[in-house]
Amino acid sequence: MIEVIDLEKSFGEKHVLNRLIFTVNQGSVYGLLGSNGAGKTTTINILCNLLDGDAGNVSINGKAVSGKTKNLLGVVLQEIALYKDLTCRENLLFFGRIYNLSQVQLMAKTNELIQTFKLGEYADMPVSKLSGGWQRRVNMSVALVHSLSTLILDEPTAGLDIEARYELWDLIASLKETDVTILLTTHQLEEAEKLCTCIGILKNGSIVAEGSLDELRNLVQAKQIALVETDMETDLYQRLTSLGWKHRKYGGRLSLLLPDQFTLKEIIDKLDGIPLSSISLQEVGLEHIYLEVTSD
Amino acid sequence: MQTHFNEIMAIAKRILLELVRLRRSLIFWVVFPALMLLLFGLIYAGGNGTSKSFDSTAPGILIGAALFFSCLGGPVALIVAERERRTLRRMLISPLKSTSYFMGIVLAYLVIALGQAIIVYGIAAVFGGRFHGSVWLGILIIILSVFSFVGVGFFFGARFTKRTEDVNGPVAAFGVPLLVLGGTFFPVSILPPYLLTLAYINPIFHMNQALKSVSARGSGVEEISTHLVFLFAFTVIALILGAHSFKSMLLQEKRG
Repeated sequence: MIEVIDLEKSFGEKHVLNRLIFTVNQGSVYGLLGSNGAGKTTTINILCNLLDGDAGNVSINGKAVSGKTKNLLGVVLQEIALYKDLTCRENLLFFGRIYNLSQVQLMAKTNELIQTFKLGEYADMPVSKLSGGWQRRVNMSVALVHSLSTLILDEPTAGLDIEARYELWDLIASLKETDVTILLTTHQLEEAEKLCTCIGILKNGSIVAEGSLDELRNLVQAKQIALVETDMETDLYQRLTSLGWKHRKYGGRLSLLLPDQFTLKEIIDKLDGIPLSSISLQEVGLEHIYLEVTSD
Repeated sequence: MQTHFNEIMAIAKRILLELVRLRRSLIFWVVFPALMLLLFGLIYAGGNGTSKSFDSTAPGILIGAALFFSCLGGPVALIVAERERRTLRRMLISPLKSTSYFMGIVLAYLVIALGQAIIVYGIAAVFGGRFHGSVWLGILIIILSVFSFVGVGFFFGARFTKRTEDVNGPVAAFGVPLLVLGGTFFPVSILPPYLLTLAYINPIFHMNQALKSVSARGSGVEEISTHLVFLFAFTVIALILGAHSFKSMLLQEKRG
């Protein structure tokens, strides 16, 4: 379990974390979302005991973060941090040794991870000879080499192709079954939707929204989202005001926050003949929630 | 204590394994001193018997052409590589102690130094050269030299080099003049007096002179005491400089 209570951190004049509070319960996957500079990396650095917070409490399994909690934590870094001239097995053995595993534990854990991550075929190949997706797998397996209960995944699928990303998602999903506590940071909202049991959205160093996906959906006053395109935006805005429908413009696209479930025909009828060049319907997703709670 | 020992062994083993895999550096660290020894041994023999020339050439070549490049250039390249491939960050996240990391590197380079010493003196022996003094005293000088080279390597690696391309510059710019001035390739007796004065503050001069005195002339501790004192002092300074620079680099690295 990870507990972060009233954590504060500044670099000079810049306040990076402002009374940050969140808890990752045992066996759950907590997604920490936020734009670049929101404070995700600083939070991870403090959890890993690389940085000290200015105020507040941070604990892992009830123990305040210190050099001693490093053994409790596995961290999958954004970058592939491996010795590429060594084989997968040699990397696992090396990192196991610096976590002071006994020879028996080391051999057992290495073999177990090779099996779990399906590395058997590649175990004795230099990492440099593997594709990016397989290197990511090794990168993740190395983080699990010491027996642990808590895992931090810092954008684990960044830069991966779709196939490799899905494979890694399956692996993370399988870790959920083993009662490991996971803190996941990602820019990919689909990843958070698929994997996380709880999501915290970070803005300017504080959590601005937190909960399961269903709980977060309640933060958006819409049952459905309609994406529309029209050349007559002014007329459309007037009509939306008279209907009492909220609208947002995200990335140049106009999104209508519908207060109820409608069919496309019903929406077109309600828009009273305003010509639309396109219209589509979507469920309220994390993307909408994220944009809604982080917009100024 | 056991934890420290395990960590040191893990680091040393990994460095040696990587060097064996890459081979390029190991080949250079063997071929370069071997060629320099043959070249200078034969030049100083001047067509006469070679045993004396190889007696006096081997120590300088071991310190300057072998240990300097492996034990100073090696750690510089190693630190840069650890930063570039982000493995240093992974180790910072682990419980590994920085002293274990340093000692692991020293141990790996001591093994390499031992190999280089065997090769250099092996070649010298083929031409009739031999080690005349106390082998233990020779080993002490080599150990001190390795510690000071690794300390300076940490200093350069942590302070002046950020990318692989930066490695050769400082090593060549600071190192080669020190090698020449330290009597690695030419006897210091040919230096003009003002350069000889300068040579006395050059640590490589003291390494060379200490090992040459023991190896070629069979000198004991008393005869090389000045060189030993200088070497001890320099080793301490190099370790302090290296540790301080490495600590600053780790602080930067921790911020990500």
